[in-house]
Amino acid sequence: MADIQEDDDLVFHKICALLEPLNHKGVKLTRDTDLVADLEIDSVSVLDIVMDIEDNYDLSIPVNTISETRTIGELVDAIHALKKQQA
Amino acid sequence: MSLFDKFQKNAVLYNALSEAGRNPFTVQMDEILGPTRAIVKGKEIVLAGTNNYLGLTFREEVVSAAQAAVAEQGAGTTGSRFANGTYASHKALERALAAFLGFSRCIVFSTGYQANLGAISALAAPGKDVIFIDADCHACIYDGCQLSGAETVRFRHNSPEDLDRRLSRLDGDEKYAGMGKLVCIEGMYSMFGDVAPAKEFLDVARRHGAYLFVDEAHSFGVYGESGRGVVEAQGVIDEIDFYSGTFSKSLVSIGGFVASNHPELDYLRFSARPYMFTASPSPANVAAATAALQCIAAEPDLRKRVWANARRVHEAFTQLGLETCAPPGPVIAVKLPDRETAFAAWSFLIDKGVYVNLAIPPGTPNAASILRLSVSAAHTNDDLDIVIDAYGAMAETFAQARVTA
Ligand SMILES: Cc1ncc(COP(=O)(O)O)c(C=O)c1O
Repeated sequence: MADIQEDDDLVFHKICALLEPLNHKGVKLTRDTDLVADLEIDSVSVLDIVMDIEDNYDLSIPVNTISETRTIGELVDAIHALKKQQA
Repeated sequence: MSLFDKFQKNAVLYNALSEAGRNPFTVQMDEILGPTRAIVKGKEIVLAGTNNYLGLTFREEVVSAAQAAVAEQGAGTTGSRFANGTYASHKALERALAAFLGFSRCIVFSTGYQANLGAISALAAPGKDVIFIDADCHACIYDGCQLSGAETVRFRHNSPEDLDRRLSRLDGDEKYAGMGKLVCIEGMYSMFGDVAPAKEFLDVARRHGAYLFVDEAHSFGVYGESGRGVVEAQGVIDEIDFYSGTFSKSLVSIGGFVASNHPELDYLRFSARPYMFTASPSPANVAAATAALQCIAAEPDLRKRVWANARRVHEAFTQLGLETCAPPGPVIAVKLPDRETAFAAWSFLIDKGVYVNLAIPPGTPNAASILRLSVSAAHTNDDLDIVIDAYGAMAETFAQARVTA
């Protein structure tokens, strides 16, 4: 069930595509993947990736939100919430 | 679960550097011989990794002013600016800085870190204001945003277009209607030595009704016709809203300040916690900064010298085929392909008697590994010969450091 949802989720796939170049250990990316703990991306690089995501969706994700976001799933949810708000 | 688990990853990096022989983050200067020389592990080295841009650390006027202040006002103030630690000398320095910069008022803090932390955290409030910061802003600006609790949006480094886009997004959003907007940039950025297009940022900020805050920590004293920073060089110093700076670089002391033409700046004195709840700068620190400011105002030659030195080093590095990160300026950063090469090159240089700064991710923009060199007006031709020779030998030894040759 969760898998089907994920497949449907374009935001999830987009984020995975942006993260893949930094996935040096070849971790399988899921909603539960922790950006810092699992992918070992440093905090500054997380902010930089988020900028690419922001450009892609034409929205601004506040730094405050990013610092509360640990997993890919949480990032996906944050983007959905902002898209709704800024629509 | 240990409190200390979270340090593991960086501890491994840090320990690896120590085991490799020299840890760039634990260099100890055993004797300071002058503004550009020190003894490290029994060997004399050229200091080319400080922020002593105008080289005033040992100037007679500065040192004797600090000595006199200790004798006359004591070693420390034992009180905060807000409660029991404001002396006449703090107020006199505030007036001198405001007059030099051409602002109506100025507030002196205990460090530059606290100046930014205090001003930004007090100016912006959660739910009432939004802060926009350049992606490459210094840690204390990020920390100021965090302490404020206000929503903070990061824009692409030195891109007024990206700021414009982000401000425009808010303009159409009723959630943000009526909110205050504060844009934070720096004059010259300390890692790469690149300079902000302050005028363009000002235009964008004004178009969206935002305030502009400029941290000139590294550019104060060095940029602009009279040393008033990048905003002076670009002709917008009279128009920006807030100007912050530090005593810890060209003013060769410890302390910081924020200046403005807004009368409301004085409200920070009873609102900015990093102003209210920490001891004021010591009399010696205040006297040294005051004396250094007088030197800067009276001696345009200091600026001429630092710029001549900067141009000489930059040109030499370009000829060596090294990749510099910005046009000539007091900070000359050389980009290296990776962390390992950068560390090896750093060790090579210190062995040749030249101290510069190693900067590696996550401390650097774009995950770059760089050697950051800073030029001083006090560097002699001999000093610079040693620096340039050492970089030449480094470029020979590490072919991968050269982009052209
Ligand atoms: C851009 C910038 N702002 C502020 C500071 C803080 O200055 P201080 O050393 O006075 O705390 C620094 C230096 O560390 C800096 O690079």
